[in-house]
Amino acid sequence: MNGLGWGVKSLARHPLRTALSLAGIAVAAAMLLDMVMLSGGIEKSFSEMLLTRGYQVRMTPKGTLPFDSEATISGASRLVIALRSEPGVEAAGAVLGTSLYGRASDSLVTLFGYGIEPQAQALYQLTAGRDLARDDTSGILLSEPAAGLLRAGVGDTVTLVGRLDPQIAEAAIGRKLLVRGQVRWLYDYRGQPSVGTLLPVMQRLARQSSEDRASVLMVKVRDDALVAVVAERLRQRFPQLEVNSVADLVVHFKQRLVYFRQLSYILGSMSLIVAVLLVATLLTITVNERLGEIATLRAIGVSRATIVRQVLAEGAALTFAGATLGILLGLGTARYLDAILTSFPGLPAAFSFFVPRADTLTFAALVLLITGSLAGLYPAWLAARAPVAATLRAEAT
Amino acid sequence: MSEAGPVLLATALLKDYPMNGETVHALRGVSLRVHRGDYVAIAGPSGSGKSTLLQLIGGIDTPSSGSVEILGTRLESLKDRELTRLRLTRLGFIFQRFHLLPVLTARENVELPMAEAGLGGAERRARARELLAYVGLGGRADHRATQLSGGEMQRVAIARALANRPAVLLADEPTGELDAATGQEILDLFRRLNADGTTLVVVTHDQRLAAEAGRVIHMLDGRILGD
Repeated sequence: MNGLGWGVKSLARHPLRTALSLAGIAVAAAMLLDMVMLSGGIEKSFSEMLLTRGYQVRMTPKGTLPFDSEATISGASRLVIALRSEPGVEAAGAVLGTSLYGRASDSLVTLFGYGIEPQAQALYQLTAGRDLARDDTSGILLSEPAAGLLRAGVGDTVTLVGRLDPQIAEAAIGRKLLVRGQVRWLYDYRGQPSVGTLLPVMQRLARQSSEDRASVLMVKVRDDALVAVVAERLRQRFPQLEVNSVADLVVHFKQRLVYFRQLSYILGSMSLIVAVLLVATLLTITVNERLGEIATLRAIGVSRATIVRQVLAEGAALTFAGATLGILLGLGTARYLDAILTSFPGLPAAFSFFVPRADTLTFAALVLLITGSLAGLYPAWLAARAPVAATLRAEAT
Repeated sequence: MSEAGPVLLATALLKDYPMNGETVHALRGVSLRVHRGDYVAIAGPSGSGKSTLLQLIGGIDTPSSGSVEILGTRLESLKDRELTRLRLTRLGFIFQRFHLLPVLTARENVELPMAEAGLGGAERRARARELLAYVGLGGRADHRATQLSGGEMQRVAIARALANRPAVLLADEPTGELDAATGQEILDLFRRLNADGTTLVVVTHDQRLAAEAGRVIHMLDGRILGD
């Protein structure tokens, strides 16, 4: 019978008490895991989302972040040509984002429109139908919510109407387009009705054609080039533009959400403390109840080291079982919490706050196991220091 | 240590306890010599110091003055770890309330001191089964301690005490928690053990048990009245 087996059997003496303690440790472990996932998950998810299509650099009007304002860049086509000629650049494309309307029966519904270059796009994944050809000025791509609003599917014709500007006394531009495919826009929030056309079509609908405007330029860096080096060269060549690599954007994002990280650290630490206190309390009670038994073991020649090992093993067994339950509980609650948080308006649906990763799970489990096992130190010290003769005398009376 | 020398030698043992601000003189100069194969009963009323004497000669407690030798080794010269090892390998303890680990089976309880002494699993199991058979519990080896009767638990405790082939078996009121019939079974077992060569020192106020022993030491107020 080794210390661990003996420890596990000792825990089975009071099944209800052990079960309640395990539940407490599991809840604390779940919270710790969720907080660890939250602290690293946001940036991981953000980075993965930005790199879905492999475009590592975004260029925007000076002082802005992608789609952070309505500011646009003029001369987009010329800039894209210049970018494509840059060493280290594999592909580049311009995107214009604008709000517009779609005609549904006899009313207009508000949509978000992307003007894209299908041969160099980092915005969507095709889910049905086919992509736009590079010269397809009569085709359109719809998101599922947009298709629902417009009651249109692949092969149907839809009418888009440009934004009405009350300061310009001109009728809004309208255009009939054939639905070529249905897509998932990578940065759309849940339920966002978005459509995509070729960039010149969207520029005309948004009255941005004359200056060839775009909201963001996207650049894909060659595999054999360093993103940071290419980004720096682009900064020097296009000083009028904001050049951000995905790493830069992640830094910006982290700065904006620093409170999430702080909150997760605080709540994670508190969970850990609760778990440690639970283990220490249970083991201290157990040791105090078993002082007679411990004194007997010492009397028959069991060493202090064995007693310490047995109590620590009991703590480790308790923590291991609690952590195992806690990981399952934590993964479940993370999914639930993620669904709540990502339903906030304005957040991309592809974004996650809680990202389960093997290293995160391992880290949380290891921290809990180590601290939980260490929580047994005080009760183990109590057990090892139990006065043998006095305890046996007290037991005999 | 020669065969002729005492297994246990206690010399001029004094033991004082502080209690409620006063000093209790539990032992007042007790000396004792036990030879291999002896069966010694220490008898006396409650508070006479017999259990304290057993704790001192068993290395569980330390005397205020005086000395104890087990097989020629002076206990006061040993460090805690050495003393613990000596209790494990040279002495066997039997308590009034058995003190088995309730979560373990009879066999596992018997194996425990052997595991602590570093014996391999197979050897431990074989010896535990052999000892349980010796005390008449061969068929109860895999029962938990809580599933055994008082007499059975005490027999498991005796098997546990014998696990590491001790030089002396020390028993403190071994029949104190048992009814007359079950107590008699334990007396019979002690008689058999002694006949097989085991040295026994038994603290008791059970007259039957004292009568079984080859030598009876009477104690009163921390002193030996007669040997």
